Amino acid sequence: MSIPSEDRALPREDKSAQQTHYTTCYMCACRCGIKVTTERGKVRFIQGNPDHPVNRGVLCAKGSAGIMKQASPAKLTKPLMRKPGSERGAGEFVEIEWDEALDLLTARLARIRSTNPTQLAFFTGRDQMQALSGLWAQQFGTPNWSAHGGFCSVNMAVAGLYTIGYSFWEFGTPDWDHAKYFMLWGVAEDHSSNPIKIGLEKLKRHGARFVSINPVRTGYSAIADEWVPIRPGTDGLLALAMVHVLLTDGTIDFAFLGRHTNAPWLVIDAPGTPDDGLFARGAEGNPIVVDAATQAFVDAAGADLNPALFGTFTLPDGRKATTVLSLAAGRYLDARYAPATVAAECGVDADTITRLAREMAHVAFHEAVTLPIRWTDMWGRTHDSVVGRPVAMYAMRGISAHSNGFQTCRALHLVQMLLGALDGPGNFRARAPYPRRIPLRSLPENDPAVIFAPNTALKRMPNGNPTRPEDLVIAADGSPLRIDRAFSWESPLAAHGLMHMVITHAANRDPYPIDTLLLFMANMAWNSSMNTSGVREMLVRRTPDGEYAIPFLVVVDAFRSETVNFADLVLPDTTYLERYDAISLLDRPISEPDAIADAIRHPVVALDRDVRAWQDVLVELASRLKLPAFTRPDGTRKFAGYKDFIVNYEKLPGIGFLAGWRGEDGESHLRGKPNPKQWDRYIENQSFFTYPWPESMRYYKFANKDYLEFAEKHALFGTPPVAVTMQIYSEPLQKFRLAGQGHYRGPQPPLQADRDRLATYFDPLPFWYPPLETQRIAAADYPFHAITQRPMTMYHSWDSQNAWLRQILSANHLYMNRATAARQGLADDDWVWVESHHGKVRCQLRTMEGVEANTVWTWNAVGKQRGAWALSVDAPESTTGFLLNHLISELLPRAGEARRITNSDPVTGQAAWFDLRVKVTKAAPHETGAWPQFDAVAPLPDGAAMPPEPLRWTVR
Amino acid sequence: MKPAFSIVFFTVVSGAALGALALLGVIALFDLPWLSASARPVAGVVGIALALAGLASSTLHLANPRNAWRSFSRFRTSWLSREAVFSIALVGAAVVFVALLWIPVAGPLRSVFALLTIVLAWIVLVCTAMIYASLKPIRQWHTRWTPVAYVVLGHWSGALILLAIARYDASNSVRLAHLCLALAVTAVAVKWGYWRACRDERRAVTLEQAIGVAQGVHPPAAAGARSVMQARLLDAGHGGRTFLTDEFVFRLARRRRGWLLAAFWAAGIALPVLWVVGAWWQTPVVVAACLANLLGLFAERALFFADARHTVRLFHGDRRT
Amino acid sequence: MKLGLVIDLDTCVGCHACATACKEWNGASAISGPLSDYDAYGPDPSGVWFNRVRHYEVGDYPASKTINFPMSCMHCEDADCVTVCPTGASYKRADGIVLVDQDKCMGCNLCAWACPYGARELDASSGTMKKCTLCVDRIHDETLPEPERQPACVLACPAHARFFGDFDDPASQVSTLTAERGGFGLLPELGYAPVNRYLPPRTPPQVAVDASPAPPGGAAAALTRLIDAARRFAAR
Repeated sequence: MSIPSEDRALPREDKSAQQTHYTTCYMCACRCGIKVTTERGKVRFIQGNPDHPVNRGVLCAKGSAGIMKQASPAKLTKPLMRKPGSERGAGEFVEIEWDEALDLLTARLARIRSTNPTQLAFFTGRDQMQALSGLWAQQFGTPNWSAHGGFCSVNMAVAGLYTIGYSFWEFGTPDWDHAKYFMLWGVAEDHSSNPIKIGLEKLKRHGARFVSINPVRTGYSAIADEWVPIRPGTDGLLALAMVHVLLTDGTIDFAFLGRHTNAPWLVIDAPGTPDDGLFARGAEGNPIVVDAATQAFVDAAGADLNPALFGTFTLPDGRKATTVLSLAAGRYLDARYAPATVAAECGVDADTITRLAREMAHVAFHEAVTLPIRWTDMWGRTHDSVVGRPVAMYAMRGISAHSNGFQTCRALHLVQMLLGALDGPGNFRARAPYPRRIPLRSLPENDPAVIFAPNTALKRMPNGNPTRPEDLVIAADGSPLRIDRAFSWESPLAAHGLMHMVITHAANRDPYPIDTLLLFMANMAWNSSMNTSGVREMLVRRTPDGEYAIPFLVVVDAFRSETVNFADLVLPDTTYLERYDAISLLDRPISEPDAIADAIRHPVVALDRDVRAWQDVLVELASRLKLPAFTRPDGTRKFAGYKDFIVNYEKLPGIGFLAGWRGEDGESHLRGKPNPKQWDRYIENQSFFTYPWPESMRYYKFANKDYLEFAEKHALFGTPPVAVTMQIYSEPLQKFRLAGQGHYRGPQPPLQADRDRLATYFDPLPFWYPPLETQRIAAADYPFHAITQRPMTMYHSWDSQNAWLRQILSANHLYMNRATAARQGLADDDWVWVESHHGKVRCQLRTMEGVEANTVWTWNAVGKQRGAWALSVDAPESTTGFLLNHLISELLPRAGEARRITNSDPVTGQAAWFDLRVKVTKAAPHETGAWPQFDAVAPLPDGAAMPPEPLRWTVR
Repeated sequence: MKPAFSIVFFTVVSGAALGALALLGVIALFDLPWLSASARPVAGVVGIALALAGLASSTLHLANPRNAWRSFSRFRTSWLSREAVFSIALVGAAVVFVALLWIPVAGPLRSVFALLTIVLAWIVLVCTAMIYASLKPIRQWHTRWTPVAYVVLGHWSGALILLAIARYDASNSVRLAHLCLALAVTAVAVKWGYWRACRDERRAVTLEQAIGVAQGVHPPAAAGARSVMQARLLDAGHGGRTFLTDEFVFRLARRRRGWLLAAFWAAGIALPVLWVVGAWWQTPVVVAACLANLLGLFAERALFFADARHTVRLFHGDRRT
Repeated sequence: MKLGLVIDLDTCVGCHACATACKEWNGASAISGPLSDYDAYGPDPSGVWFNRVRHYEVGDYPASKTINFPMSCMHCEDADCVTVCPTGASYKRADGIVLVDQDKCMGCNLCAWACPYGARELDASSGTMKKCTLCVDRIHDETLPEPERQPACVLACPAHARFFGDFDDPASQVSTLTAERGGFGLLPELGYAPVNRYLPPRTPPQVAVDASPAPPGGAAAALTRLIDAARRFAAR
């Protein structure tokens, strides 16, 4: 070494003026804990909180760039009203005061509530307060509420909740510590981001094998030990082919299947009758099984169960019944699901499919993990150890965003059940308050008398989990009662609503016109809608009498999104560093498998503009409208504001939004009286609360006596505690299928198209079918699958206004396999036309190796409208960036039906974004630039001061 | 590399000045008849003026010229520092030398300063060239051809300036003209050698080397895998430009490169040679020949930068340097 | 002392957390801040970053591998950027960190030319060259809790793909990781002795499976075998 070294004095940061605060990030829905250092009121540094259970000190690029989110000139600064006389969508606003805005809105909402509450459609996007907004809607009395799950993750949620009692994505986490084999299905960056990254490193360090099933090799798939490039929409085939292999090899967990699933339950075989395909039940109404030794019929919930897993039996009444597992084996052993059969369809060769299944079986059955933990099962037996079959899986959008996603997700759960690989060491584990009983006992409000009653709260929540046709939210004639047609024959198990259909139906006044559409934190006029151009047109469509088809549009957001431009009334929200929030167990929990958890946010910077936290506004509106839960019997308001509401509102006695430090002394956890100092306790404790499960409660929660009794006591589960029996065969589905077949003893769909859908898709056993769009177009004309991924640096449309993050990613391109592109005569940076059955866009091509040969993809939501998000009108986000959304129709091409059907999963209504099929052709030499283009967004009246050039961010 | 005009101007003009001053020193030292006594101080002043112009231009390249005075401090390790120190020394020596040319002084003083000027001019030429030649990440520069070419081209353009002054002065400049032609031939040979070395890819660094494919940065071995895995840039990690792309990922279109090359051969070499041979002494022609030469060298210098492939380009997707 | 970083290419998912954490820490640091951003909301945004993550593919589809590649100053032992600096602004400390003295730099770019890795960037506002400081204002700061006396990039990395320590200490994590995993420096043939080490992707763990074909007889035979196996299990 030849360089002499020297030390020099270095300038120092004056820390005496700095303060530390703990709160929760909100750059995505991961909700990592953050430690924020401020200096004289400005944010100096945001880092992960080392003690926080979600992220344990790490922080992703989005979280680390929070400073620039806070500093964005796209922040809204004051309530706005569409300038009288101007057109909706022209973006001409006048500033108004909060009082005026709230008076205006209250008057309108009061009028709606006192005449026909369904006239209010309130839909929320990327919010983390669904428990509050859902309660608000229920109290208001409108069924037209949902968050955005219908276009996001409902397939995973419903498939999981109806099958295993918890679900991928929101309600479970892989056991990163003990898994020896991990299979990741259709996951790119999404909002469980940091835990997945932390977990993958652990897995690899422990020598676990990581297999990624994904059409694209970026992000997590980049570090996979094996990348399986699958054709989008065919994951169900792969999963069921693996089931075929497991069944053929006989490598399935008989004990698990017999004890914890409905594999031995008896399915009545009586075609043409209302009981066909339902479970045979005993005198007490419980499903029955056949005892393997005695061949007698016994209650399936019996303690010392030794059920026959296979066989057809004759019931006492003479009818035949077959075990679930026999039915399943019959289906999946068929050649249709043999690896050799499915290989061409899914793009994974037969040997690989067989090997993957056998690898999982080997790890599950020959590399079991035994932990010396004593636990007691729900049948009273104490075990000295917990044995895990350490195969873990995780799945997200690549499974969900297809019209066959529900059945595909159930197929994945079937693999897990066959391997006995659920909630044990090394498995995909549940996060409190899950697992829960199957089916959940929460039904959506469906009584028209209640729904249409003026000034009346709903008796049930707007959303729920139907189990039979009677639970649907439909009128006597079978027509939908909700504006998004959720819980109708078209989308029966639409547990999260269909936010992506609201504008279409409202504009078409189908099934009825609404008055006010209230959107919170959802960019429906841009990337959160299919058929973006069409939706924008529908937002401004007028009826023959000259009024807008959607008379009043209220948009609530913190930033100048494309949708804000269409509002009649804009209510500006705060940023995450300026607000109180409750990340509640009643919402989407941040619990870990080993600990229940919730968290808060509290302001760490002072509010510098005339905006208000939307939760405060919701509580204010609820109070003004005298919604029952917010109003005392004497008519005065119950809650001063949001903070007061969180502390004092009780869903059930002792159960509130925040689980920590309850009780008058703040010493009760999970259940207790309101604690007036609860917010302070959270702030003192780094803004989060965890309650670690005793070791004995951590595994096999679905059958863990201590856990289930605890959960019942603390209202996590519902009374009485019962073991959760996982449902390979889903009886609720069969009931709907019977209705479609015309055999159900109860409501049946009036339209033939709906009957056909129910009969076909409500198969009580998982199966695979081609995505609906594919079935209705000439697939050969559209040879490519077109999908999106979320980049790791941006969350939906949210980060182009971030000066740092947009340097990393400013314009999205369309990626195509290099060899495929070469065959088509396409090269990097070519401008191409991308066309679907519905529309076309022009964008710029990039080639890469790591993408399935018949798939093209782009980063989600990066493309922007000119001038939106306080970007210049010639920003690359708009000149080169583009939306694939223009190519996706929210309605399927017609195939003989009278009215067009939603482009969604027929079971859950999940938006089928990734079913898109396109063709790609080279544009002419003069055809450059992204297309379509829209008029530039007009500047806001406040003309938010643009930062100096260059931007030299500092706190001193 | 992005050719910065201030640096192109500096190296060409300074090189010409140094070459001219060195040759002037030789002429004065051996009292060659190539330049008359009255013409020598003129040549000296022109040389010093060009040197100062070059130096001034070089400070334009600085983003923070306030600290320029510190550039003398790392003389022991930095070629740029050495160039700065020796440039000042050279200018000082040359000023005295030229003054001594003008003011008749007896004794060895004029010879001493002539020698000093020659030696310092050569040192500065070498130091300037070594700034570039010492940079290992740029293989096109990191070759002996670089300082050799810089010294030869400096003398070629410097000699032309002296010849121009000589012609104007009607000195006996035939030998000077022969020297010019010899320098022209040498310059051609040296540039040809330099460009041939550039094309020799054996020293090129590849993207695979840069990211460590041989050290295990490659897909897991599969049956039938190729022995050399090819690497490609998927995403540079920024949507637009950065300092690094501005400075290093400079791409010159083939046509433009062709024009620059043609400009070098034609204006930098051919036209001045033609003028030397043709021996025209009309002022406009004289000036035009010298200007053409300088312009041609601007083109050569721009190419010197544009052809340089810094290893940073590999990380931005180039396959080899 | 030889302080530096280890970057694990086996677990880096390319999330850019390290790049942004660095940007925010150093933007307000007394040593280098502010770090300029140009045209921040306009058509041509760019800015000064010390750490950048680039993404490569190696091999051909379907056997290609995607590599996410963060790069920042290597704090070379034989740092040419120090050698070429005419003003003495570039210097190497006893603990190994290479720094740019903002009071002395004249912005000539020569150090950036000398660095093969692109570690240095000119901040046009200050006219000076800026680069990774290995968070020298964090690692020796006793007012920080001990676990946080690490570079911001190391703390932030969600995939725990970054490590900081003393390569002169054979027991340090950076030394042991390098030894165990075959950590390598970039372009060592240039002779600058980069200190940072990259860990190549691990060899994937294999699962021993029985590769024999399925027993003959198709679905019916398979079902029979299953039923027999279930009976045997029930009879235990």
